Formats: sequence, C-alpha cells, structure tokens
Amino acid sequence: MDFRLSAEEEALRQRVEEFVRAELVPLEPEFADAPDIFDGSRWKSRVKSSADPEIRRYLALMEGLEKKAEAAGLWHLDVPRQYGGMEVSNVALIAVTEELEKSAIPFELGNHVSNILYSCKGEQIDKYLWPCIRGEKTSAFGLSEPASGADPSMMQTTATPDGDYFVINGTKMFPTFADVADFVQLFARLPGTAGREGVTCFLIDTGTPGYRIARSIATIGGTEPCELVFEDCRVHKSQVLGEIGNGWALNQAWLGARRFQVGIRAHGKSQRVLRVVRELVRHEPARAGQIAATAGRFLGEIEALRALTYVGAWKADQKMDVRSEAANVKLFATELLHRIIDFALEVAGQSGLRKNHVLARAFRHARATRIVEGPSEIQRHIIQRALFREGAAALELT
Amino acid sequence: MDLKLSEEEKLIKDTAAQFVDKELIAREGEYLRQPAAFLPPGAPARRDLDRQIRSELTARAREVGLWCLELPEELGGSGMSALARVLIHREFGRSILPFRPVSIPAFLFETPYGARLADGSVSLALAFAESHRTGELADLQILYRQEPDGSVLRDSSIFIANPSAELFLFPAREQGTRRLGLFVIARDAPGVTITDEVDLTTDGTVARLLLRGCKIPNEQLLGYEYEAGETIAAEQLGLAARSLGIAMRCLASSIEHARNRVTFGRRLAERQAVQWMLADLSVEMRACTWLTLEAAWRCDQELTYFEEAALAKKRATKMAFHAADTAIQIHGGYGVCKEFPFEGFYREARLMRLLYGREDELDRAAGAKFLNAE
Repeated sequence: MDFRLSAEEEALRQRVEEFVRAELVPLEPEFADAPDIFDGSRWKSRVKSSADPEIRRYLALMEGLEKKAEAAGLWHLDVPRQYGGMEVSNVALIAVTEELEKSAIPFELGNHVSNILYSCKGEQIDKYLWPCIRGEKTSAFGLSEPASGADPSMMQTTATPDGDYFVINGTKMFPTFADVADFVQLFARLPGTAGREGVTCFLIDTGTPGYRIARSIATIGGTEPCELVFEDCRVHKSQVLGEIGNGWALNQAWLGARRFQVGIRAHGKSQRVLRVVRELVRHEPARAGQIAATAGRFLGEIEALRALTYVGAWKADQKMDVRSEAANVKLFATELLHRIIDFALEVAGQSGLRKNHVLARAFRHARATRIVEGPSEIQRHIIQRALFREGAAALELT
Repeated sequence: MDLKLSEEEKLIKDTAAQFVDKELIAREGEYLRQPAAFLPPGAPARRDLDRQIRSELTARAREVGLWCLELPEELGGSGMSALARVLIHREFGRSILPFRPVSIPAFLFETPYGARLADGSVSLALAFAESHRTGELADLQILYRQEPDGSVLRDSSIFIANPSAELFLFPAREQGTRRLGLFVIARDAPGVTITDEVDLTTDGTVARLLLRGCKIPNEQLLGYEYEAGETIAAEQLGLAARSLGIAMRCLASSIEHARNRVTFGRRLAERQAVQWMLADLSVEMRACTWLTLEAAWRCDQELTYFEEAALAKKRATKMAFHAADTAIQIHGGYGVCKEFPFEGFYREARLMRLLYGREDELDRAAGAKFLNAE
C-alpha cells in the first residue's frame, strides 16, 4: 500500500501550490468584499453578461488569472489528451483542488466542460465540445422536472420520433445558468417507455423554436436555476448525444464524476470556516477553551473526509465501481460542511448572519449542497443498496 | 497512490482471516454457551478461555506467524510492518474469543526478558494509566531518581488492566530533569505488589500496581519520551484495527439477519430504518478503515504519525461501539443474549473508547492546538 502521490502528480500539486501562493492569496483582501456572485464557480456564466462596473472589475481580475494559469501550463487538467488537455488522474485532480481550496478565491484551472460532452460524435464535436473546452460556449443540464427530482427515472418529458426529427414536449426544472447557456443537455424519454428505458439525451441550442426559458428562480444559495419549457420543439436526430434510448448511462456518468470534487471542495471550505472561527475567538481565551473540543472533533471529521475522498478518487482511477464510495463522499462532505457552518454561526452570534458575512454566505450555499446532485437520502439509499447486494464484502480490502 | 494490498500484505491478511475463521469463530459457540440451563442468582460469571485451549491456540498462531508480530527478523520473528499488524488485528477483532497476538514493543526483545516474552512463557502488561485520559504522558505519578547503579522509584500506586502479567512496562518522570524514562519491572521484583483486583464490565479485571521502595537496574530503563509515544501509538493503532474487525463482524451479521428476518410481511432489509442504520455505519467504517491504514503506513514510512494514530483510535473505537449497538438493535432480543457475540463487543468497545485517550480530551487537545496556532 502506498498513500503517496506519484512523482508526476506531486510535481503538478507543487506547481498549483505555488500558483495559489503567488497569484491567489495576494488577491484575497480584494475579494473579501466581492459580490455574492463570485462565490463558487458562478462567475463563469451569468457574470459575463453583466454591465455592472464593479462586477466587470472582478471579472477582469479573474480573466487575468485565467491567462496566467494557461501560461503556466495549468489549464485543461481534466480534458482528454486528444482534445489538447492534460488528462490527469482523478487523484491528481483532487490534489490540485485541495491546493486551490487553500485560498478563498473561487478560481478553477480550466473551463467547465460537462463530462458527458466527450460522447459527442461527428459535427457535434466542433459545434459543442470544442467551444466548451475553449470557454466559448456554456451548457446547462436539463434532467429534473416539476414532478421528478431525486428520482429522474420518473421524467415525463417526451421525445416523439417524426422522420429525421424528434418532437420534444415537457418542462424541466432547475437547470442552473440555462438563461445564459448556449445549449442545454436535455433528457427526455421515447413515447411508451418507463423508468430508465428509453431515456435519450439531446443537445438543444438556446433559441431553438419551441424551447423557451420560462423564468429563473431565486434560491437560498444565490444560484438562479431556470424553468425550461418545450412545446413541440423539433430537434434533428443528429442532436442526440450518445445513443438513442441510452441516455440513462450518461446521466449517471455526469453525476458520478463530480462527487469527489464535491468532497475535496467541502474539505477546503470546512477548514476555511474553522479558520474564521479561530479569528473570532482569537482574543477570547475563555471562549476558545469552551469551543476547543468541538473544533477538535470537526478537525478529525475533516481528516476523515479527506481520506474518503482520496480513496474514492483512486478507486475511480482504477476503473472500479465507485457508486457507493461516491455516495459516501457526497453524503459525508455536504452534511459535515453544513454542521461546521452551523457551529461557526453559534460562535459568531447574530453578526455572522449579516448578509455579506463570509459565514452567512457559506451558510446559504451549504444548505443547497445537501440536496443538489442527489439529496443525502438518495446517497444513503445507494450505499445500503450496495451493502445488501454485496454484503460486508463491499467494505473489504483488496 | 496504490491502495491495493501488496502480495505480501494480502498473504498476511488471508492467513489471519483463515486463522480467525477456523480457530476462533469456530470455537465461539462453545465459548459463549451458557454452562447450565438455569443460572444461580446474580450476574453471570466472568468468562475466560480455557487454559489448555489458549496454549493450543498460541502454538498454532505461532506456527503460522501470527504471534509476537513485533519480534525483529534478526531474532527469528517476522518484524511485521505497522500496516501488516493493523491487517492482523483487524481480522482478530472479528471474533469475541479473548485471544489475539499480544503487542510487545520491539525494544523489549533486546532485554533479558526478550526470549521468554518471545516464547510466550511470560506475558507483559502496559502500566500507562495516565495516558488513558489524554492519550499523552503529561502528569506521570511515578517519579524516579537516577543513581549510578539504577533508578530509585518514589513509592506509587497506579491502576493496571491485565494484572496477571509477569512483566510491567511503565513510564516515569525523572525528578529534577523532568525526563521521561520507560522501565520494565517483574511482578516478583522486590517492592512490587498487585492488590485490589476487581472485575470490569468487560470480561477483564483491573488492579492496583503498588511500587514500594523499588530500585530498578539500569538495563531495565528501556527508552525515553519517543519510545513511550511509540508504545502508545502502537496501542492506539491496535485498538483502531480491532475496532474495524468488530465492525466488520457486526455489519456482516446484521446484513445477514436483516435479509432473513421478516416482520409484518416484509424483510428487515426492505425497511428504510434498518437500511439507513447500516448505511450510516458503513460510511463511518470506510472513514475509519482508511484513517487507520494511513496512520500505520505513515509509521512504516517514518513520517510523523502520533496524531493520526490517536485520531484513528478515537473514531474507530467509537465506531465499533456504534456497530455493536446497531447489531444488537437489528438482532433484537438475540442481540442482548450472551450466546451471541454482540453484547460482548458492546461492552468491550465501551472500554476501548476509554483507553489511550478519551474522545473529549483528544478533541480538546486537537482543537486547542488549532485555535492557538497563528
């Protein structure tokens, strides 16, 4: 057994560590008062269409960072080699994100490329995949519906074949950034199918007749997901991503790959929240004494999260079935972060709930993470399913 | 990273697993069986393994290399890595039979007692009473004064588990210099008395080790601060590993029982209340498994590992307690019966949580260190 990063992974980690130290940390005072929109990765989408000079100023800073990262060769880390990326391992991506999370600047090394777009074929590659890799286009993910969230197999949106076309009818809830995206990855079912059968994924351009974005919806976390309506929207069969009727696997792949990043992000954020707590009690030794045991318990839990995350990422690199590990990490990470922020607010008192306070922001964001991309209850369901399928062997060392 | 077991580690783990299945778990029925149809009034007697069976098991464990795990290769042992020891103790944790390889710090094998410890004719107890609260050795009661021909101990009295041992390893503080010395003393040495032995709620006992007018020859001063820290960390890793084994057994039995037991027309396995108990347990098991393995690996790589070992022990012992509690609940009435292993695990895990660092104290120390850092 060996817990060390490979030489290559370690070299990459060190370069990112240096980048964070030299480029991100110095910007932290500047970003302390950045608009809410610069939390998380949202600045990459909606912000770009903003005319607000304050937002433009922060955007310019972020774009400057992008150029520096690209020049330093720290770009497109997870993009496959055939598309000019570095195709680094899952473990390396976790190590890189762990370094990035040491700074509060919401910066990521690369554009958001929805991983299922690597299933693009023929003209789809030039039309969707490359522009996303280059950062020229963004996508939204249309899976949930008004009557089906955690269980997408209940989706009702239909794609009825009509010659070389499909006619799409239905409503999608909560695709984030659909209003500023260039296209949506839409899941719909073939007529007469049920459950996981017949689910098909389409790439549908914004502005396609019959597709409209009905509204955006304000949420606690500050993201504004949208409601999408499809009324007799005709889509050519060349817009099918992957195979007709085989969309369920894509939906699973999209979710699976993100779990370990959720884990290491929560790991970093949890530590930052505890550092805020440390500052709050810096000059109050008695208070520090009172909360020491709780803080210590959380530090141990943060270490446990880190271990779970690296192990899961390593297993994913070995092409093992990581559905259970991924559920484990998602559950542990989001529940832990939420509890830590709750504790921090107890220490801070009501001043921590001032709208722009770093804890108040973290509090609003963390609540949503226990729901999005599969609520905690679904994660427990996935975990128990593996336990009853494989028995205790599911936890055996190999 | 490579988190697969190496061929050698796999072999060690499989050997231990086979031994535990064939020699220990197979004997549990007999060990746990109630001696008579009706018991006399009062609490059931303390259980212990038959002497004859114990010595047979020791011989067999020795044959397959599962005894004296720390004995260095140059002295005929296998000098197992910390990781291998974790794998072994994890397997032994699966059985309630009170039999497992005893941990003997490697430096003891270089003393005059080494040979007898190695052949099992004498046993060792660690008298680290002070470390059970904080996991550290801050307030040692035993003080010593170094003289040219040995160390003179101030009269003391400390609690020890395993009072039937022939040798006691204990830390003491040098008067004046505050240096920590690690000593070994024989039960029959002048000035050593064991008194006040009482039953614990586990099947073990606790007693008082009295030291009156003891003088210890220089060759029985075996180490200092670091060796004492290593000894504690090794115990913590052993407890963590044993906890993982307890949890594996509890989980496996609970899954099996839930698959078969029917209530109100449905199997327990279909009940979400039961599913989630086991899901939550397995999450914690995974976390503890990797915290323990990584701490052991760090020890083998000669990286710092004391804090990691303490964390692994803290989480894993609590997890084992939770695992036993869950197994009892899922097995219902059978869970609390002494003919099943779960109530024994439950009592044992409760004690393990109190050894080499209580949860609150470890948390408080870790938290204080963080909050006081720059």
